[in-house]
Amino acid sequence: MAELILPDSRRCHYFFLYDGSKVRGEDDPTRKGICYFYPEETPLDKQDLLCSQLAGVGRCVSELSSSQVSTLRLRRCKFAIRMKDDFFWALGCSVDTPTVSVCELLHQLINLFCFYNGPVRMSYELNSRETLAARWTCFLSHLLSAQSPLHYIFSCLRTMDLTNVDPLLLLKAALILQACQRCPLVLAGCIIFKGRVVSTQLSPELTMKVMVHEREMYNKAQRTNGTSAPGSFGCAVSSTGVFLTPPELQHLRSPPVNKDSSSHSSSQKDALPRRSRLSRTLSDTPSSEPEPSDPTSPHSSQKLSVHPHWSELDNSVFSPTPTQSAAGSTTCSPRAQRPSSSQRRNSHKAEEETLHKFYYQSFHDSTRGVSQIEGEESSTCEGNLHLNGGDGACETEFDFSGPSANVKTVSGDNEACCRSTKDHMTEVKHLTLPHPHTLESNEQSSLIAMTLYVHRVNSLVLALLVEPHFLNDTASIEEVYHSSLASLNGLEAHLHTISPAAPEPAGQYLFAHYDCIQNTLTTNVSGRAVGALEHPFVRATSLLHSHFCSTETLQEAIIRSAGTAVYGTRNVAQETFFQQLGGPPRNSGIPNHQDSAFSLPSKARHRLLKHGVNLL
Amino acid sequence: MKCLLIASESAEILFHWTDQEFQQNVQEKYSSSQEEGEGLPAFEDIISTLFAPIIISCGTMVYRQGDSYTSFTTENNHIYALCQFDECLYIAVNGDGEEKEDDLRRKLYVLRKMTEVMFGMVTLSGSLLRKELRPQDTEQRVRLWKHLQSLVETYNYLRESDQSFLVEAVERLIHPTLCEQCIEFLERRLVQQINSSSLVERAGEEVLHTFILVHTKLLAFYSSRTASTLNTSDLLTLIIMAQNMYPSNVELDEPSPEDAESTSGSGPESFYTPEPSPSSRDSSSSERPARGSSPVFEFVDPDIQMAEDSLHTLEIGPPDPSTPRRVFLELKDGQLPMVPHSMYCLPLWPGITLVLLTKVPNIQITRSVYSFLEDFTKLEKCLNEGQAGSGAARGQLNMHNTRSKLDKFIRDLGPSELQCVQLLNVWTEFKNRAFTRGGSGFNKDLIPLCKSMKTRLCSLYRQRFLTDTGSSDGPRCLSPALQERAQTMVQEKLMDWKDFLLVKSKRNVTMVSYLEEFPGLVHFIWVDRSSGQIIAPSLNITERTTSELGKGPVARYIKSKVWGLVRTTRQYLRKGYSTVTLRDGDFYFCYFLWFENENGYKLEAGDIPILPDDSPPIGMLGYDYYRKLLRYYGKNHQGEAVKCYELLTVHLGVIPTEIILQHCRQLASKLWEPSRNPLL
Repeated sequence: MAELILPDSRRCHYFFLYDGSKVRGEDDPTRKGICYFYPEETPLDKQDLLCSQLAGVGRCVSELSSSQVSTLRLRRCKFAIRMKDDFFWALGCSVDTPTVSVCELLHQLINLFCFYNGPVRMSYELNSRETLAARWTCFLSHLLSAQSPLHYIFSCLRTMDLTNVDPLLLLKAALILQACQRCPLVLAGCIIFKGRVVSTQLSPELTMKVMVHEREMYNKAQRTNGTSAPGSFGCAVSSTGVFLTPPELQHLRSPPVNKDSSSHSSSQKDALPRRSRLSRTLSDTPSSEPEPSDPTSPHSSQKLSVHPHWSELDNSVFSPTPTQSAAGSTTCSPRAQRPSSSQRRNSHKAEEETLHKFYYQSFHDSTRGVSQIEGEESSTCEGNLHLNGGDGACETEFDFSGPSANVKTVSGDNEACCRSTKDHMTEVKHLTLPHPHTLESNEQSSLIAMTLYVHRVNSLVLALLVEPHFLNDTASIEEVYHSSLASLNGLEAHLHTISPAAPEPAGQYLFAHYDCIQNTLTTNVSGRAVGALEHPFVRATSLLHSHFCSTETLQEAIIRSAGTAVYGTRNVAQETFFQQLGGPPRNSGIPNHQDSAFSLPSKARHRLLKHGVNLL
Repeated sequence: MKCLLIASESAEILFHWTDQEFQQNVQEKYSSSQEEGEGLPAFEDIISTLFAPIIISCGTMVYRQGDSYTSFTTENNHIYALCQFDECLYIAVNGDGEEKEDDLRRKLYVLRKMTEVMFGMVTLSGSLLRKELRPQDTEQRVRLWKHLQSLVETYNYLRESDQSFLVEAVERLIHPTLCEQCIEFLERRLVQQINSSSLVERAGEEVLHTFILVHTKLLAFYSSRTASTLNTSDLLTLIIMAQNMYPSNVELDEPSPEDAESTSGSGPESFYTPEPSPSSRDSSSSERPARGSSPVFEFVDPDIQMAEDSLHTLEIGPPDPSTPRRVFLELKDGQLPMVPHSMYCLPLWPGITLVLLTKVPNIQITRSVYSFLEDFTKLEKCLNEGQAGSGAARGQLNMHNTRSKLDKFIRDLGPSELQCVQLLNVWTEFKNRAFTRGGSGFNKDLIPLCKSMKTRLCSLYRQRFLTDTGSSDGPRCLSPALQERAQTMVQEKLMDWKDFLLVKSKRNVTMVSYLEEFPGLVHFIWVDRSSGQIIAPSLNITERTTSELGKGPVARYIKSKVWGLVRTTRQYLRKGYSTVTLRDGDFYFCYFLWFENENGYKLEAGDIPILPDDSPPIGMLGYDYYRKLLRYYGKNHQGEAVKCYELLTVHLGVIPTEIILQHCRQLASKLWEPSRNPLL
């Protein structure tokens, strides 16, 4: 299902990252500065041309206007631009793509990279270009493989068709997530089925980021397992290091009770005011009521028990002192710091095997799993903590060969595990130290290392953002694993039986309902192949969406060409677009209240009710 | 924070205009990068240095990527729009949020249109246009740039304040009786008298069109029977030029009859100085009544003052007011572009101007020059594309035809003039290369010769119509006495009407007269695109006047909404949507575009072409979009005169939609009636 989808050439023409600091002198060739260029098969001189010209013009305009260039348009291509610390990103899309969407796409892409790799400058100091190029490709392909052109316009999350899912299952998913949060080290998470969100506690941005890892792992597994059926690698648990921005983390750490109020109060100063965390399930809304009065509830305790590690980490991150920044990540290379020999061996081995790749291992893959358990001392929380190419993004792999066996080995090997994790943490801490020259209010420089824990049951995935030392807290791992395993299996079985929704008989109407807060889209424009029928709707929607974005006071609009009439309406939280198919009867275009175009609002209200869209 | 510039391919600045804020900003930026003690270079040099990388990169992209920049935006919302016209790159910048990209692109097209009206076919030759826009002689350059700069200012002002320049259509005063009387007067008395005066007195010229402007509104327009129609684009450009010469401050209160004389319409932003002209016709002009008839177009507007400063404020005598402006206008619906005319702007009273457009003698050669230019351009394109076989053969075939015509043309010119000799030389060389047996024939080697033929033809045209280096025939214009006579005649005719007209021009159509019939209607704009006419209630937004929209801020808010609505509907029209309704805040906006035949029968809505974002602006001034649209639509309606109408309305949001739509319908038919009155 989730085959590696190559970026659609119609959607993205170019993407490149150019490092201006590498091309200072007159003699420095442009290609020295090209960190990544998509499409990779582009002739080198064309790469040179685009990078040098765009970066040059970008710099010149930035100087003239004392502000960074954000978009740059050519006759046949439009670029979203980001300039930061000598880096120059450009994402070029076709000219029909709304500018807001192109900018949003670039924003997502860069954030995605930083989420898994940490600050860009640091990543490039620690990794080879080839390694990182592979990651850019992967992230790009993920972002560009939207379900439909509409998803691409709104850059929204892929979700289950909720009208087709038993609400009890959604409730169940939400409960699983809540149950996991009982462990104080678990911040929040989401549940994904076949690459679509079932339930999430994370903000839309974070959910999107987390989903990339899940999909990559799935792809890797598919590839390594070759032809074997998906069922053969059952359930497995793994983890990887990730980087969060301080606002993101702050948001995750604040208890859900106060989130609503805090998001209101902080909405002015917060960088992400409207994208407050709203669970897409029923779970969050009602649960916020009883909890504040109950100090023994797991959520409150999560807040109250300040772990020593946290405060330490917080300090180092939130208030970077000059001495720390002077230590600089360049001086303490993580490779040099790698502690025990077994650790090193493991990492080397891992690097050789899956060099710079997400590591995925299933314990159902018996031969390998067993050999690993036997061959290496640390069997349970098999501290396969190899640095992901040394950039601080780490990967851990767990093996629960059997619940009872686990507990034993864990207790036996606990010390080693702890040590390794701690070592890892020191590395991470050093790595996140801000660069001397990026100290100024720079979101990238203050990224905080966290861990993403992923538990897969066939097509169902539980992804949790956890504190980094979750990994050495075997009890917590056990608890999370066992508390969710049965429920996940059950949920998976149920979701599996849901047959994909029968495609709507086309011919009646088209609609798209976009939820700006949860960043989700409900639509009956299906699939990637948008035919001639849907094309006018997609075009009108994209225009209206741009218009809604640029004009805050605009509430509704009807636009009509000779053959199409589309109605768009929005409120603070939603945008809805509707087109009656069959085409309005031909008319002259002169004002006429009997014109069918003007009955669209009432039709939309009527028709969309059954899709759960209430236009009041 | 606004800037406008024209640059050549070699990054030479051919023209620039900036507002004070932009200039200060740039100078500060430059001085900070400058070393201590060094003086600041000339502003023009700074601009040139700062923009050079952009201009050069633009050239590189065109050359190597076959694509060119169309716009940049920055995080602090500065917008840069770029347009390549032939060999010149036009750039417009805005950094104060007052203009959107579409406005900038529009400004570039308007600037382009102005150069065309000012220089005619010379704009077709890159090298000649470069010389024309940037004369070697500093004084000449200062004078020209100042003129162009003030035209840009005038256009900016009109687009921001005048609805007819917002939608780019002509507004006329709604007073059918007076209008008719005036047209009759212009026809029977004025034009007849001028055209029947002695050939010497009118220097062989003949009045083709004449019109009376009250501020920017048309009171009467008359075209002589032999003239072909003046298109809206040209008419709007001429109004800008007239406004530039005699700026009217619409925001002034109506002058009362007794002080009209004393104020001379000069508000805080304009003043009139006695004419210091030392020209040869000094004596004649001094005879003319001094009262308001010899204004010098000098603003004390700070922006313009800046522009002057940037040119080192050279003392330049004002041009003689009786000297006409040479303008190049389109004839026959664009089939014959850039035909030279003389434009006489005769101020009657402050705010009221009489404009005469005359045919200059010997314009026959423009038709030939234009067709030769077209032939050589086609041939060059053919050769460039390397169509060796059939293409070149066809080109050759055409060229044989051109050859005989051109031979005859040169013979008829008489080889006495330098330009003719040069043309003949190049043509002889061309013939030797192309047609003789020993020559290389039609291949790429001929391209440079094609180019130089074009340059020669353009420079012949230039010498004939642009540079009036006083030939033996004496001054080629209507004699000052004749001009004065015309002026006095119309003044006498309109004497009793003048104050009424000045007031009427500000309250041409009032919303009050519509309120009873259309409760809840706030404002509307109706445009007949086939004739380029607008009907819209006046928007008075000054503090002193109270309109139906209320005073000051409220009116200004509605005005900004109307301006925004026009911008929005253009975006949708560009993408093929001819009907738009929007609920925005407390208002409900509607926009409709439809076609009718001549009898008012509504034609079926047709598909409207979908254009890219960087396509020419939608309007009639810089680029006549509607003419193209009518032509496109008319393809399916052969033999029928197709009319195109637009209606924009602003209603209060509380009015039910059905009522609003009914209003629109009724309004459309109500406004259709007065538009039947002939404009010309």
